[in-house]
Amino acid sequence: MKRKFQLLVVCATVVVLMGADNHSARYENLGSKIMCSCGCGQMLLKCNHVGCPNSAKMLKQLKAQVDETADRGTGDRDEDVLNFFRREWGMTVVVEPSQHGFELLAWILPFAGLGTGLCLMVLVVRKWRFQSSEINSTNVALDPHFEALREIARRDTEL
Amino acid sequence: MPLLGSFCLLLALALTAYCFVAGVVAARRKDDVGFSLAETARRAGIASFLAVTGAAVALVWAVLQNDFSVAYILHHSNRALPTPYKVAALWSGQEGSLLFWSWLLSAYGFVLRVRRKADQELIAIASMVLAGIQIFFLALVNFVANPFGIMDRLVTDGNGLNPLLQYPEMVIHPPMLYLGYVGFSVPFAFALAALITHYPGEKWLRITRRWTMVTWLFLTCGIFLGAHWAYAVLGWGGYWGWDPVENASLLPWLSGTAFLHSVMMQEKRGMMKVWNVWLIFTTFMLSIFGTLLTRSGIVQSVHSFARSSIGAWFVGDCGWWGTKAHPLPYGYPGFLEIAFAACLWFYLKNRKQLAPENKLESLISRESSFLFNNLVLLAACFAVLCGTLFPILSEWVRGYKITVGAPFFNKVMIPIGLFLIFLTGIGPLLAWRKTSVGSLWKNFAVPAGLAMATATILLFAGIKPWADMAHFYSWLAFVVSTLVLATISSEFIRGGRVLRAKLQTNLLVAMGHLMRRNMRRYGGYVVHFGVVLIVIGIAGQAFNLDKEQTMGKGDTLQVGRYTLVGQEYSQDDNPNYASQAALLDVYKDGKFLTRLNPETRVFKASGQPDHIVANHSTLQEDLYLIYEGNDPDTGHPIIKAFVNPLVAWVWIGVIVVIFGTGLALVPNAAQVRSPDPRLVAVPGNEYRPMTPAEAAK
Repeated sequence: MKRKFQLLVVCATVVVLMGADNHSARYENLGSKIMCSCGCGQMLLKCNHVGCPNSAKMLKQLKAQVDETADRGTGDRDEDVLNFFRREWGMTVVVEPSQHGFELLAWILPFAGLGTGLCLMVLVVRKWRFQSSEINSTNVALDPHFEALREIARRDTEL
Repeated sequence: MPLLGSFCLLLALALTAYCFVAGVVAARRKDDVGFSLAETARRAGIASFLAVTGAAVALVWAVLQNDFSVAYILHHSNRALPTPYKVAALWSGQEGSLLFWSWLLSAYGFVLRVRRKADQELIAIASMVLAGIQIFFLALVNFVANPFGIMDRLVTDGNGLNPLLQYPEMVIHPPMLYLGYVGFSVPFAFALAALITHYPGEKWLRITRRWTMVTWLFLTCGIFLGAHWAYAVLGWGGYWGWDPVENASLLPWLSGTAFLHSVMMQEKRGMMKVWNVWLIFTTFMLSIFGTLLTRSGIVQSVHSFARSSIGAWFVGDCGWWGTKAHPLPYGYPGFLEIAFAACLWFYLKNRKQLAPENKLESLISRESSFLFNNLVLLAACFAVLCGTLFPILSEWVRGYKITVGAPFFNKVMIPIGLFLIFLTGIGPLLAWRKTSVGSLWKNFAVPAGLAMATATILLFAGIKPWADMAHFYSWLAFVVSTLVLATISSEFIRGGRVLRAKLQTNLLVAMGHLMRRNMRRYGGYVVHFGVVLIVIGIAGQAFNLDKEQTMGKGDTLQVGRYTLVGQEYSQDDNPNYASQAALLDVYKDGKFLTRLNPETRVFKASGQPDHIVANHSTLQEDLYLIYEGNDPDTGHPIIKAFVNPLVAWVWIGVIVVIFGTGLALVPNAAQVRSPDPRLVAVPGNEYRPMTPAEAAK
């Protein structure tokens, strides 16, 4: 069973990582992480502001950067493109925190929160179960009349 | 009118302060004097509602009369503004919206004080807590953001309302959202009151159950009305952009949803009392925090119509004053710190009364599914909070602000959201206390089989989860949605079958009876059904298409299966705005479908442009057109077309959620009880359980 599960996870990972890696997909992906810097507050690819002084230039730069980094290995090339825009247009132009240094914290915190909560929950549940097993082993059997009444109450108040 | 309004606000503050002080004194004295004081406090609270109402009416009246001597009216209205939007000016700016907050809070307090018979002692203390909150907001509108400030010069016309707000939904979206934000003050006040008075049992939960659900419903409606407004007005083809102010409304919604689930643990099993108390405290504080984010402008947001420096009143301030040679430190707490300190103080003082009555008996149980559900909802809340506040943290630590936008939230929130939906499918299959693996598998097999079948059918239908993460998540969302729909249906069918045999009727009628016997439970399932429809609608985003093109007469634009042909272009002018519109024929697969006319307007008072979107919506997809402006070279209109699949299901899902919450609010049908066969009649028209010997007989 465990082997089958592992195989399933590996297959699922392979299927997910088989993503098409072409030029236009990269262009779309990176364009959706960069904000138009004209102040319209929209993503670069979504800027619907006619006569925008910046979007045409930014789109041109994006295309050039995507072409320029196309031959490199997958590694950090997207991050290099985003860093180019950070240098050219300011830190606020990229709408996704970097995956390095201090900004990595933004990615870690939500899942660290979930993980910590999960660990705390498991600890609390273990403590509760340990306590209830102690109670069960030391106490005498519960009064059957009381248990019957409780069962009726449970059934009547079923949520 | 401005004078009357200012007087009403001062009077309301005085009455509320009296309500609070007299309430505190009355709570400490248990004699006749205390009782009389409590009654005067209650009446002062009722009178404060009338005073705040007077102030709100004075402001609306002054707006309708075009009284531009009032600075607030000058900045948020003008003569040409249609009447409904003049009324909406009450909540379109900071000062007015804080007055509106105060009015809603006093209205909730009014209802509470009038209907005090549910529990006089508890309601007296809850009323005192509400008065404490009300003092803060009334102090703000009296001394910091007074909506009746007078201009130092006379002006003939105002600046007008922000054009983006001149849309029918904007007349009801902010009130709905505010009813949600403010409404959480009531369960908060009851929770704190129960803690202060060592109130035994879960009565406070029963009193506030409907308040909380109605509040949650208002917040849900407010959030989705805002989403629909963004879709119909902002013209970027989407409805949720993870803007900080949007996130601010989501935070209390997530924690409030967790609270609505976890109170069932306390009502049913006497568990999670500390958790529930802190959950409602957190929800209230997140509501206040949402108001702070919306009003203060501490984070960059497209909702820039309400920025100010009132943040220090909410979160306090600290720093240095005096000269450079002799600097002196200063610091003062804000409302949020005071509220948190009060909650912590009473919790530490009275926490013994929150001891659980039962423990968790098994990890595979309904209780543990509620625990997981709460954990994931709070993790989602924490993730949204982190992303929203990270720019501020970055500025503190690194000295510059970064932007955290939709790509970050989508990457973090979609997996968490899908896991939450998965839990929605598993939860109903688990029994209270303990579920055997065999029983779980028996109940789970059919829904899991249907989900697997959906996964396979979608692959054959052309969805490629391996294409990119958006397609993968979308595929997974459809599969998990099928699982949840199947478990909800199986719950109805299983219960219906049992009743069908008992009542000798058909399955549909039996399911109707089943619902009427436990409206809360089955209403909750209908809400889950609505949430699944919303998820299906959101999952469609992975397949969005868009195209932009300059369109002269007779030009065609092809997007997906649609062909647009330019027909007419027109211009119009009225006292409020000048507009340009395009008339386009739409063909689908070569057959004429409809005629659409996207429009762009420029409002005269502000000079601000606005898009009027043309949307042809079907259950399958929306064809969404925007008139972006004119080509500077040719003068022809630039049209942007989007094909957004399944969007209609988001709005249908919201209607189902509203319907389900309405069902859950209806009391159960009265049941005629027949004696349980395991009970034995005893004198006094009562029953006792059978003894083992009687049972064996």
